[in-house]
Amino acid sequence: MAISRMTQKMMSDRALLGMQAGLDRLSKVQEQLTTGRVINRPSDDPTATTSAMRIRGSVAAQKQYARNANDALAWLNQTDATLASMTDQVRRAKDIALQGANDGAMGPEAREALATEVDQIRKGLIATANGTYLGRPLFGGVTGGSAAYAADGTWIGVPAAAGQGVTRTVGEGVQIRVDVEGPTALGPDGDSLFDHLDALATALRSGSSAGMATAIGKLGSDSARITDVQSSVGARTNRVEQAQTAAGDAQLSLTNSLSEIENADIAKATVDLQLQEVAYQAALSATARVMQPSLLDFLR
Amino acid sequence: MASFSSLNTALSAMRYQQVVLDVSSTNIANGGTDGYVRRRVVGETVGAPATPAIWSRTNEIGAGVRASGVDRMVDQYLDNRGRAEHAKQSYLDVQADALARVETGLAEPGGNGVSGALADFRSTLHDLVNAPGSDAARSQVLSSANTLADAIRLQARNLADEAGDQRSRLIATVQEVNDTATQLAATNHSIAAASLTEGDTASLLDERDRLSMKLAELTGGTAKIRDDGGMDVEVRGVSLVAGTTTQQLQIAAGVNPDGTADGNPTAYTIGATAVTGLSGDVGGISDLLDHKLPDHLAGLNAIAKQLADDINLQHTQGYDATGAAGTATFFDYTDPDVAASLTVGITDPKQLAASSQPKDPASPVMVLDTGNADALIGAIKVDDGYQRLVNQFGTVVASTKRLAANQQALTSQIDSSREQLAGVSLDEETVNMLSAQRAYEAAARVMTTIDSMLDTLINRTGMTR
Repeated sequence: MAISRMTQKMMSDRALLGMQAGLDRLSKVQEQLTTGRVINRPSDDPTATTSAMRIRGSVAAQKQYARNANDALAWLNQTDATLASMTDQVRRAKDIALQGANDGAMGPEAREALATEVDQIRKGLIATANGTYLGRPLFGGVTGGSAAYAADGTWIGVPAAAGQGVTRTVGEGVQIRVDVEGPTALGPDGDSLFDHLDALATALRSGSSAGMATAIGKLGSDSARITDVQSSVGARTNRVEQAQTAAGDAQLSLTNSLSEIENADIAKATVDLQLQEVAYQAALSATARVMQPSLLDFLR
Repeated sequence: MASFSSLNTALSAMRYQQVVLDVSSTNIANGGTDGYVRRRVVGETVGAPATPAIWSRTNEIGAGVRASGVDRMVDQYLDNRGRAEHAKQSYLDVQADALARVETGLAEPGGNGVSGALADFRSTLHDLVNAPGSDAARSQVLSSANTLADAIRLQARNLADEAGDQRSRLIATVQEVNDTATQLAATNHSIAAASLTEGDTASLLDERDRLSMKLAELTGGTAKIRDDGGMDVEVRGVSLVAGTTTQQLQIAAGVNPDGTADGNPTAYTIGATAVTGLSGDVGGISDLLDHKLPDHLAGLNAIAKQLADDINLQHTQGYDATGAAGTATFFDYTDPDVAASLTVGITDPKQLAASSQPKDPASPVMVLDTGNADALIGAIKVDDGYQRLVNQFGTVVASTKRLAANQQALTSQIDSSREQLAGVSLDEETVNMLSAQRAYEAAARVMTTIDSMLDTLINRTGMTR
């Protein structure tokens, strides 16, 4: 058996190499512990880096979807409340119309009083229809102005391009329209709720029962339209809520996956640190012992 | 046999043991010297004189010992192998170091790199969709676009800086190659002169081996020992050092003398001959300058160009806050250094074309449509490409590091084999020293014995009382 020749320099070189390798491993584990991450640079694991980047992008997207959904919900809830209050007011106007139509013995003063109330309701409805969310008129389409309806009840909003409108992206490729344009809810100019209220007031003042009957019919269909729109808003609210929940869930599970890929297993890293520390200390003490003696120690 | 010949034999032994002690002390003194190769005395028995004539006889048994020479304990083939492995090692080490630096500049994976900036840009566009009337949201989009452009520019600049450093390093390395080659030629001259006078060339040979190793590490050059003891070095078949003459290694293309790039791949000449496929430091730097760094930069340029072109195209489809059509310079750049020159071309938040329908010129009212802002979000399509780019670069860095680590194991294995042969073992020298000392003492005792024998013969023979 060949005994390879060993020299002091070989031993010191090897000891140095071993200690450096040990220290290098120690510093890697220490880096994982101090940064809390397994992947600190792409070369640590190129494939996992790609996954981490992809998941990070998705987490940011889901976060944004959740934010968008919050905004959409606020907008839709505001619209819903506004439409509900409109329904009440229209019902009151219809009651007045019925009262005017049924009571044939009503004097001109009494009818004038009813007409004035209808005027007030109309004003109130115009104010309600000009309700805003964060400064934007709810029923103004894509207008940059501050009102959806002029004082005379004509729609002054800007219609969105066909198939568009004020939308919120609440999921990958899921855009939900959050606005309702004035004419959709309240009828087109010339045949709108405000025109009908105007006609009702005129009919009350003139005592025209035919006019009142027409107005009652029109208000009935206005009320039905508003309710329709309200239920459509409700349906959209549902979709947004579902999307919001989905975005929240996705965010959570993606963050978990990211953590699994990127973050250091602290328990494992701590144990690794201990192991590497022990190994390094063993290398040190072995080196100290091996480097010490030579034949010279035993000669005199 | 002459009475005094044993005295001579003892004298030769004492002289020889002195040489052994001398060599041992030199070995011990140079135990830690770089490139020192241990020496060993070759002893030779001084035999009886050759038979001068047919009937002539000699009854001498032996005439002692002499040192016939001092061996340098080297193995030429192991040295060749060592040079080759060291060349590969420095080729890989140069690259691993530089690539690790560039990689740190990527800041991936994390929130601070280009992918983080892309996500922010997308996020601010979403916020603009949510609040198209807000100037703050518009400014946010511009500032995140600026951050994105900055992040891409920063990466391009990191690459350009690293390439600049490597070019300066290449110039210095080539200078070092030529200096070392000149030194080797001078050493060759000294060796030739010393071997003519039969002087001790061992330390010159150490120097020769050290210089040729350095040339191998720098260029991957291979060495061949000459008859006169000198060493010739060739780089890829082109002679760099031949005896006492050297040829200059020169950068023929790729790097200007002031350290700037000339736009071509690197090329070298030795003397007037073109030489390709260098290894060692020079080869490693060339590979970085010709492939690894430009490849990543080209990928980054492609990403930046795609981002800018997609966004710019989509931007022209929309209308800004004043109702004018969007400009084609949301992102501005100059070909072909797209990544390094990427900036945001619009400064006024109002110029951001978020709307997909123009403003009615007759109306003072702004249009808060956000169709184009939504489309802009969809026009950011570079995430996948960028992830691929980072993955590729990470793979290149990881494989270079792994290769360098494997090569390290191989190189230290060869170094260890060389050291096994050439290294000084203190224990062994101590043993040599001890045995030389004892042998010297024994030779001295031989002298004393012969002396006392002669004393008996001369002074006591015939004396009866």
